[in-house]
Parts: sequence; C-alpha cells; structure tokens
Amino acid sequence: MTEPTDAPTGLQEVRLNALRVGADPVIIIGRVVSAERREITRRTDGGKRPVLSGLLSDGTATVRFTWWDPPAEPIERGTVLRAGPVVATEYAGRVEVAFSWKTRVEPASESELPTVRTADLPAMTVGQLKARDDGFRLDGRVVRVRRKTVTVGTDEREIHEGVIADRTGAIAFTAWTDLGLRDGAAIRLSGAYVRAFRDRPQLVLDERSRIEPLDGAELPTAEAVLLGPERRLGELEAAGGAELATVAGVVVAVLPPSGLVYRCPQCRRSVTNGLCRVHGAVTGTPDLRSRVVVDDGTGSAALQLDRGTTETLWGRTLDVVLARLREVPDPSVQEEELFEHLFGVRLRATGRATVSEFGLTLYPETVTAEQAGAVPARAQAGPA
Amino acid sequence: MTGREPAWRVLAFEVRASLHEERGTGDRAATHLLSPLGARMNRVLMAGDLSAGEALGQADQQPFYRAKLTDGTGEVTVTAGGFQPRALAGLRSWTVAGPALVVGKAHLFKGRDGTAYPSVRAEAIRGIAPEEVRRVQAEAVAQTGERVRLVQALRAHRDPRALEPAPVPAWIAAAEAAIARYPSLDPATLAAPLASVGAPVPRPAASAPTPVSALPAVRVTRAPPRATVGPPSAAERAVEASFLDIVDELAEDSSDGYADLRQALERAAAHGLPETHAEELLNRLEEAGVLEEPIVGKLRRA
Repeated sequence: MTEPTDAPTGLQEVRLNALRVGADPVIIIGRVVSAERREITRRTDGGKRPVLSGLLSDGTATVRFTWWDPPAEPIERGTVLRAGPVVATEYAGRVEVAFSWKTRVEPASESELPTVRTADLPAMTVGQLKARDDGFRLDGRVVRVRRKTVTVGTDEREIHEGVIADRTGAIAFTAWTDLGLRDGAAIRLSGAYVRAFRDRPQLVLDERSRIEPLDGAELPTAEAVLLGPERRLGELEAAGGAELATVAGVVVAVLPPSGLVYRCPQCRRSVTNGLCRVHGAVTGTPDLRSRVVVDDGTGSAALQLDRGTTETLWGRTLDVVLARLREVPDPSVQEEELFEHLFGVRLRATGRATVSEFGLTLYPETVTAEQAGAVPARAQAGPA
Repeated sequence: MTGREPAWRVLAFEVRASLHEERGTGDRAATHLLSPLGARMNRVLMAGDLSAGEALGQADQQPFYRAKLTDGTGEVTVTAGGFQPRALAGLRSWTVAGPALVVGKAHLFKGRDGTAYPSVRAEAIRGIAPEEVRRVQAEAVAQTGERVRLVQALRAHRDPRALEPAPVPAWIAAAEAAIARYPSLDPATLAAPLASVGAPVPRPAASAPTPVSALPAVRVTRAPPRATVGPPSAAERAVEASFLDIVDELAEDSSDGYADLRQALERAAAHGLPETHAEELLNRLEEAGVLEEPIVGKLRRA
C-alpha cells in the first residue's frame, strides 16, 4: 500500500497502447471520448458509491476507464486527463484502467497528448476491423458518402455517412465533421474507431480523424464494390454478413407479416391490434412491405423489401391491394397470393447483410427479378 | 447454422441414396437427411417432371396426396398432407404431369426391417417453364459436383479450402459427417448419374476406382435384404403408408383396439386398392413386422 502523493514520482508515463496487464503502476494521459456517471450500490451495506466510466484515448489506443468517487463537477467529453498511478487490468480481452482514491487525476493540456504519426499506427484492413478497435490506419476507397442531418439531444448536427472499402470488404462510416470525403476517393485514414451498429461494425470519424489522399491503384473502384461479385449465402452467413453484398437466389418463402401492414402515423412502426409500441392506440396508415426468403442452395436470406420494391415485384400497388381487401376481407389471402406470385422467381439483390439468431437478413438497395423462366409456363390448370 | 434451413439443390438419385437421418435435440430441433455426397438436407429444392397428384388418404378427413418427381437421375416421391396445406392444395390441383419446381422437407421413413424410404414432403410446388427446370437441375449438378469433390478431397486428406470455388463452411462439416456415415461408398461412382443430366462427371480421386458408366444400383437396405423380389418401389411404399393410416384409424375407432381386417380391405378398395393387391401388401407388412394379426380377422401394429 502506498499513500497518495502530490506528485507521483518514479512512475513512468506510458502511452495507452503500451499499457500491459500485470505491469508496474504507471501514469497515463488521454482524452475523454465518452463518459457516463452512475451509482453503484454496495452489496455489503446498500450504500451508494458514484462512479464515472467511459473511454479514454490518446490516439494510440482507446481504453475503458472506471473512476471511483469522481469529482462532483461534470467531466466534459474532450477533456484531457493525466492519471497515476494506474494499473492495467483486463476485462473480456480488453485492457482497462480504474482510478481509485490512490490515483491522482488532474486536467492536462492538449499539447501533452502524444503526437501520433499516421505512419506509426498499425495498418489494418476492413476485413480485420471489429467493434472497439482504434489506433490503426486504414487504406480504403470511399465508395460513397452522403450528407445527413440528425438530431442529437436538442441539437441538429450534420453528419456524413457512407461506405469505405478495400479488397477485404466494405464498412459503413459516420463522420461527425466534414473531412472533405468524396465519392471514389482513395484515402489513408487514421484516428477513427470502430463501434457495433445494428449487428455490424461501423467506423466513427470525428475531429481527431485524419485523412490523407492516396493513389489507390491497388484498391477496388467504387463501382466494383457497388456491383460486387455475387456472394454465396452460406459463405456470407458464416462471414457474419457484409456492408455491401450482392446475392442471388430463388424465392422459396414469404415471411409474415408481408403484404399489407399498418403503421403508426407518428413513428411508422407497425401497428398490431391498433396499438403502436410507443404511441399506444393509433389509427394505422396502410403500407406495403414484404420479407422474401431467397435461397441459393448454400443458405438463405430474408430480403426486407419496402413498399416500392414490393409493388414492383408484385405488380400490385397499395391501392389495388386495398381495393382487393374490400372484395376479399381476409388479408392472409393476399399474402398467399404474394407468395404464389414470387415463389420460384430468381432475385438478385445488393445491400447490407446482417446475421442474427434468425439467420441472414439483407436490406437491399437494389433488387432485380430475372424474368426468364420465372413466369409459369403452364397453360393447363396448375397452381397459378 | 442459425436461422432458416437452406434448400439443398439435389437430384433424385442422391435423395434416394440417403439412408441416414440425424435427429436434432432440444427445442425446435431440426432433422436432417444425410446423403453420402455430403448434403445435410432438412429442406430441398428440386425441379423435374411431376406426375399428377394422387389422393391416398381419406379424402375428407385425412387428405394425403402423392406424386413422383422425375429428373433424369431417378424419381422421388413427393407428398403433402394436412400439415402442408399449401402443397396439398398444389398437388390436388396438379392434374396433369408437367415440369415443376418443388420445395419441401427431406423425409425418411424407416421400415421395421431397416429399409429406408426417403421422400420429400412438399411445402410448395409450382409449374415452371422447361428452361427453368434445366436451370435448377444445372444448379443441382454443379452443387452436387462440388460436394463430390469436397468429399473426395477430405477422403484424400487434402485441404478442402484449396478447392475452387471455396466450399461453404457448413458443407465441410456435412461432408465429414457423410464420410463417417458412409465409409465405403465411393462418391464418384455414386455420382455417375450426374452424367445423365448432361454434367461432366467429377474427376475421381487418384485412388478411387474408375466410375462405372451405368447407373449404379443404389441399395437402400441396411439389414439383410428381404427374401421377396426386392425393395418395394416408391409407389408401393406410399400405398403401404396409406394402408397403415387406414389400419390406425380403424384401430383407434374400435373398442378393442384392433382394426377389423374386412373393414380395412373395404376401405382400401374404396381408395382404389384392389383386394388381391391389398392381401399382398398385408402379407408384406406382416412379414416386415409392421403389422400383426394376433386374432384372425383383427389387425394391429406390431
């Protein structure tokens, strides 16, 4: 046991990527990337103990920190802290640090952060990236980038969303500042981190991220990524999905609810028994959607199709569906008719593929039906 | 494997050569029919010429339809009962033979003597153009060939990932299971029927014997073969199944738990099974140990 000292001396200051579990106590410096204040209830006496936890980054790595009994004043995102002595521990395969009463934590200056040269960071490929990775550089092609306005709390912020790809795959990104990314640009990227978003890893870029232009001759073109080689469904599922994948198969099933659905007029969630999950009793507005299972023999994927695609594939508009519902008031009749129309049709789709306990799901950007041979050629009385 | 079972692209000869069933455990366990060529089939997608649907069960209470799908490598029985309403409606209205697409569950019935009868319980059927039949069959030929090469590579202790195209991960495990279950079957010989649907026969491994050009006799017997003429055809099997349904139903309705022989024969006749044929069938089922007649004129399941 060592008493806290005003100036921890004899301790080495290390970068976050040099933290080692089981090593001697060290001093670290890093910027607060995120922080959340909670209260932990002690099991022994039920007493409450405040704790601040979040992520700390110095550009070389990001580690989770836990700060027991933090100061009452809020710790802002972006604050640079120096802390020591700290001992690195490991949780779920990741290095973590905890600040206790022994640790002296003080604000530090921006300029004290290590200057990280992009070239010093380890190079990663898109295929290697997984959630919570950071402190890497990535060479990739901006397949596309779109501006979007989102609401964060009460603020409106402009973000840039898109996809970056290399030869090993494609990954979605969200940039919180305008980094001047352009469709088709080849870039070397550093200072980004990876988070999990809707079952897939996603790159997050912010003001700390740096972009350098590249010649990019060895990178795939944006068109090549968008059109993509056809992936086999069994392989795609085993790979855990993809940001952009092109698949093809035969329609073998239509999953309920498909066809006519009712949506909450406020949030567009589907309404069951006249109830919206968020807004309670509402009068749903009719909409068309379909969940179509395509199969290529190696695996299957559920395509989530919106109204436009459903109307195109079915050849029946929402108005026609509603008119028919007045004739035949059982909506399951039309769901069956949708299946009969699509069963055996060959579809080709490109989009985001995710894997969950329900298997592979594809959110297509484009869907095309092959007409050849898809239309039943029997003139006689067969199942129409 | 999570989620939905893929619809394996297989040809009739492979379904008929599949004798081993893997029963899953736990909630909603899936059953798989394992083929010697490494198809772990729960669901299959097949195309070919589908014969007209034939009613077997009692039309009003227990509808059961059957048809035969022929694809150039053999024929497979396709059935649909009350639990497959969509396919049942399809087979019921399938009154003229023609090219069709069938998706369904691979099913294995095992007789008391160990004889296995694979069939397909249809989920859905639809008439398709002949070009589309050829396309589905071509897909099945390509994927079957891939699985044959995979089994050969594993048997020769070569790295399956070196194959082109790279095998789907789930296929490797299925091929290993197939090798363990069918240790003496040569995949190239078995796959010879592929040639009859116009596909190049996969080159056999160096150690494998030259494939015979004729269709191999696919024996589906695990126990010593029966003394009678040979394994019953798919048609006979389906008749057996419907006859057994009749017996079961009569036994259930009767007070003593036995099915009356005369009533059973009458009902069978009402379904188009002549009495002489029914007697023959009865003898075979008794011989196979499926049915017994402990009291004269009274039948029950053995």
